[in-house]
Amino acid sequence: MSYTEEREKIKHDRTLYGMPQLRYVEASRSSLGGVEEANKVLPLLLDALTRPLTDEEKKPGHWAPKQPRILFEGTLPEAEEFYQQTENIPGILNAPYAVYTDGMPIVIPTEERVAAMLKGTSHKPDEIITLQRDIKMRGMGNIAEGFTRKKGDVVQFMPMFRTATVEQVAVNAVMAGCKPEWFSVALAMAESGGGTGDGRGWGGAFLVSGPIYKEIGMNVSYGRLGPGNPPNKNLGRLGSLMNRNLGGYKETVTGIGVGMSYGNPITNGGFMLAEYAEGLPPGWKGLNEELGFRKDESVLMTFQPSHWGLGQEHMPGVYRSFQRTGHGAIARFLGVKGIPGPHNYLDYLTKDMWACRDGGFTLLLPPQMAMDLYDYGFKTKEAVYEYLWKKSFEPLSEFRMRGRSDILTNGWTGKEKRSGKYWKELPDDYMVPAGGENPEQDYNVIVCDGQETACDRLGGGKGPGFSIDAWR
Amino acid sequence: MAADRVYKCLNPVGNQPEVDLFPLAPRLKSLDGKTIHLSICGEQDIWHPLEKKLKTDYPNVNWTVKKTYFITPFELSEEERKTTDAVILGVCW
Repeated sequence: MSYTEEREKIKHDRTLYGMPQLRYVEASRSSLGGVEEANKVLPLLLDALTRPLTDEEKKPGHWAPKQPRILFEGTLPEAEEFYQQTENIPGILNAPYAVYTDGMPIVIPTEERVAAMLKGTSHKPDEIITLQRDIKMRGMGNIAEGFTRKKGDVVQFMPMFRTATVEQVAVNAVMAGCKPEWFSVALAMAESGGGTGDGRGWGGAFLVSGPIYKEIGMNVSYGRLGPGNPPNKNLGRLGSLMNRNLGGYKETVTGIGVGMSYGNPITNGGFMLAEYAEGLPPGWKGLNEELGFRKDESVLMTFQPSHWGLGQEHMPGVYRSFQRTGHGAIARFLGVKGIPGPHNYLDYLTKDMWACRDGGFTLLLPPQMAMDLYDYGFKTKEAVYEYLWKKSFEPLSEFRMRGRSDILTNGWTGKEKRSGKYWKELPDDYMVPAGGENPEQDYNVIVCDGQETACDRLGGGKGPGFSIDAWR
Repeated sequence: MAADRVYKCLNPVGNQPEVDLFPLAPRLKSLDGKTIHLSICGEQDIWHPLEKKLKTDYPNVNWTVKKTYFITPFELSEEERKTTDAVILGVCW
């Protein structure tokens, strides 16, 4: 039984999971209370269980779709037309949907261009993308346990469970407009699954930490999230192409985008950002070190910046007045009018931060704002994470009304992890963190270059780290 | 690159693992006395009235239930597979 708008995905997934004739019944999401809908689907379900099988339903089989290595032969104008082909998809009101691209023009992946891209790595073209080290995957509340994936495990790209060779990643990298000297980053993206996650959204987003940002010229300064910088834009875009071609994501057919990851205005088809470790206050670790790597190693982390503009709004000058002379709105808010800083900006930022959302978040700070936190007393990033997390505690009576709490607690059937007690046994005034389960896993502070004292605030905690150097 | 030159262009699509396709399990002649498993995952809303109605209208069926709010349903154990006659799975998202 599934919902009506998932019809094409159910039909598709029946084959993917080995039962192409699986009987299914559609229910409507809009039936008030569900009672009328339950009355409607019940006889259909029982009929599906008892109606004799047809000859077709009794047949075993084997599904083995093959793809040719050479997809197209022709002139460049002909190739451009071929790669830009679209199909109309009923689930999105017959709007056209790109077959091989993210919808934008691509660089045609000729054999010569792909061969040039492959010079950007020591790995062989026919090597299957596998994990280059053990990866610890996080759990999720009471509904999913964490687990470890082993070095050498073949990477599957979701939602189609596809695998990829180094050459196939190179084809996508050429199409996205990447250069051979960036290819190790592209391969680390592939090792991460291309940001395809569990296949339910439209890719993910990527953070780079380590010296490679400078080697390849990534913009970590003003406009770091905007247009103009080729590595940021084209590597970010590569995630979209991996999702489409390696993962096989096709809207409403293999997955349904409901605003997660790439399917939102933040990632908008590609999100790639690097850390400016030179701007870190003394003793603050770079993201690479936080993820268990050395500071001279280049690594990539996936995350989901699906919430934007968190916390209080202010102009950069208002922040400077607040810290330098104790004037302006933030100083009034915190009751430090006329008193020079350093002051604790986090108290301003987190006012009502969790009012309508829960979970941790990511701060992109210019060096001065990071240094102000350091001078105030936050001598490590971990201290910032801990402070933010503790600010998010609220009584269980309030936590019960949150949008994701039914899911994270698996319908309140599991145990609350810190107390070890069942959720249903805890009193109303028991304090629960709305800001995630674990401060070090649910928060990021990324320092970027720039003098203007305004920070970017995104959602998303820590994903696993993947070595870029392993793919050089 | 000459405009009329013919190029070989490579395929960006990944490798699709092969899948063995299974026939459907034999259907039930009658529901009476059978063990039917309700595998509930994802959104629970329609299941609230549906589970209640199934159990009320078909008391001679041994209804077993596993629920998760996550998208991945709980699997049946080997022993449960031996004693279960049918499964209704829903509603993922």
